[in-house]
Amino acid sequence: MIDHRQAFQDEARELLVELESALLELDEKREDSEIVGRAFRALHTIKGSGAMFGFEDIARFAHHLESAFDKLRKGQLTATTDLINLALGAADQIKKMLGAAGGQGTADPNRSEAILTELHFLIGAPSGEMPPLPSASQPPPAVPAGPPREWRIGFRPAPDVLLNGTNPVRLLAELRELGQLRVEADTSAIPSLADIDPERCYLAWKMVLSTTADPSAIRDVFIFVENECELTIEPTDPSAPAPKPPTPAAESRPAPVAPTTSSIRVSAEKLDQLVNLVGELVTVQARLGEVAARRDDPEVLSVAEEVERLTSALRENSMSIRMLPLRPTFERFRRLVHDLGVDLNKQVELTMDGADTELDKTVIDQLNDPLVHIIRNSMDHGIETEEARRASGKPPVATIHLSAQHAGANVLIRVSDDGRGLNVDAVRAKAVEQGLIHPNAQLSEAEIVSLICAPGFSTAKKVSDVSGRGVGMDVVRRNVEGLRGTLEVQSKPGAGVTVTLRLPLTLAIIDGLLVRVADAHFILPLANSLECVELTAGDIQEAHGNRLANVRGRLVPYIRLGEYFHMETKRPDREQVMVVETEHGCYGLAVDQVLGDHQTVIKNLGRLYRNVSLVSGATILGNGTVALIIDPHRVVQNAIRSTAEKTRRQE
Amino acid sequence: MNVFRASSIQGCPLAKVILTVDDSASIRQMVKFTLCDAGYSVIEASDGKDALGKLNCPVNMVITDLNMPNLDGIGLIRSLRANPAFKGIPIVMLTTESQETRKQEGKQAGATGWIVKPFTTQQLLSVVKRLIG
Repeated sequence: MIDHRQAFQDEARELLVELESALLELDEKREDSEIVGRAFRALHTIKGSGAMFGFEDIARFAHHLESAFDKLRKGQLTATTDLINLALGAADQIKKMLGAAGGQGTADPNRSEAILTELHFLIGAPSGEMPPLPSASQPPPAVPAGPPREWRIGFRPAPDVLLNGTNPVRLLAELRELGQLRVEADTSAIPSLADIDPERCYLAWKMVLSTTADPSAIRDVFIFVENECELTIEPTDPSAPAPKPPTPAAESRPAPVAPTTSSIRVSAEKLDQLVNLVGELVTVQARLGEVAARRDDPEVLSVAEEVERLTSALRENSMSIRMLPLRPTFERFRRLVHDLGVDLNKQVELTMDGADTELDKTVIDQLNDPLVHIIRNSMDHGIETEEARRASGKPPVATIHLSAQHAGANVLIRVSDDGRGLNVDAVRAKAVEQGLIHPNAQLSEAEIVSLICAPGFSTAKKVSDVSGRGVGMDVVRRNVEGLRGTLEVQSKPGAGVTVTLRLPLTLAIIDGLLVRVADAHFILPLANSLECVELTAGDIQEAHGNRLANVRGRLVPYIRLGEYFHMETKRPDREQVMVVETEHGCYGLAVDQVLGDHQTVIKNLGRLYRNVSLVSGATILGNGTVALIIDPHRVVQNAIRSTAEKTRRQE
Repeated sequence: MNVFRASSIQGCPLAKVILTVDDSASIRQMVKFTLCDAGYSVIEASDGKDALGKLNCPVNMVITDLNMPNLDGIGLIRSLRANPAFKGIPIVMLTTESQETRKQEGKQAGATGWIVKPFTTQQLLSVVKRLIG
């Protein structure tokens, strides 16, 4: 500070020289506003800088002179010899005051008063009317200690706030320094991309600040933008005293009502109707998209795009309404397991996880029967009697575990028991006996296990009350397949059986990928599709006739759908291969053309086509034609099986 | 990276650059001293015209007096805002008059904020910190 004081004294002396020369020139050219301006600025700087560096007396003295020269400058006063002489005397007085401050000589305060009195007489204003000199404002008092209070702050800057050099983010950062701050951005005012001006600010913020600071300190943060924003500051606790009255621009808005979770009951029928209507809408939207693309009219295209976006949102929304957690279904089995345990004289504990997994209501409704059947089978055939369990060193209380988990667009539901597992030899013998397989057939263990799902299959020695009424696992399998799901049985001898149901999340509408093979369209479920790769003629040649695609160093076998479906297609120069994920690993499906994604409303094929396993349904395209929805799992499974058979036959 | 040196060397790209425009050398010295001490890099100009001549490199912020010869603060703010390169930078005006009219005139010209003279070094720093961090 001492340094600055010295700098000011040097500067002030220079300014006084400037003032003197200006005054002397003014004496010759009384009307020259340029010269008046020079004198004014010299005094202005002496005043301003004087106050900055602790020369209050000089600042106050210069302030009165400056006011006089301001009037002169504005033409409210004319320069007279008296005034100029007085000003010269004042300059001398300032010089003396500077000297006194520097420890050289003294300045007579009475002389200052005399000059000012004469000045006021000359310019015709009593000293009382002189504008007061602002004094150096004290730094704001330190944050008072006390319990922190919560303030709700609403801040919506004017759109052009950025053009004034204000960065709203910095204001939020400054608020954060006052205490704990929770910030929520209000993005509702952001226009569509085409209308966005990057130099404008479309955001607003809602904040809750917990601070010990005064509300005026909060308001102070926004002082530079006070007139260019909507600002509300109110305590979250209404009983607390209100902060300073808001400025006119900052009308306080009522606090938003606390959100309450409420629900309404709607009949399932209405939901089904809604989903049906959404399905129709999606079909119509596809048609609109098709028409718009054909017209190539940007106006229609933009409407079509908007409609597509809305339908997609509407679809997701209405689907989510139908989603229900599995828990109630799972919980119902506790009673079943208990009752069966009593009947069979077996102690069984039911455990479960993933019961909060959500599934389409229709799927859940149709899931009950298959699950009951599987659990009955486990209780009856899988789980041993207490004595047998003890004998094989297992805990006497058996466990059945129900689990559910998401896997892509599917939900996996597993029922596992810790029973004896399937007797592979018995299954095989039974299958031979029932004529399901040839006695010489070479089957892997997994294939034998899958035989229990064959129609009419039952290994139970005698028909019990619990299971084995002629409806076996094949009924379960058919039910699950009716839900477009798959069923898989795994067995570990002595350790138990796990039945896995893979079910689609929803039955009505899925995201699909529209592809073309020859002149037919197909849909591949997007949930299974991993990526789309292109094979050049060179790539195909390198594979030496093998249907293998090199996807970043990984070999992916692929199936040419055209050949597979016996459709007449020319092999294109470039093979479009969709890589799909199946239970058997990643496989490719080669198509002629990939057309794009498609919101697919699933229609059943009808009773006649129930045995068609490669296709899980159909959908209607925008132009009214039908596209079949391919089940990649089945296609791959089938291909693996037929290849295996071919190999076997060749052997 | 040597942060110490970075903040003490003038014009080093790491430090934020502030242009201070004032016809009072002592105020400029005080502003420069305070800001350099806080790690900013400072360019000085004695009036608006001088300032425009020194703006051949990007600056992060401008602190300008209003009453100056040749080109006053309001004029400087107007010409800065007219230049795309300085459209969005914070500009703070130093005013001795705390009267609304002068302040409004400055705001309309495009000033971001103001500091009323006389001010303390803390007040100066808090405003700079508020605007450019």
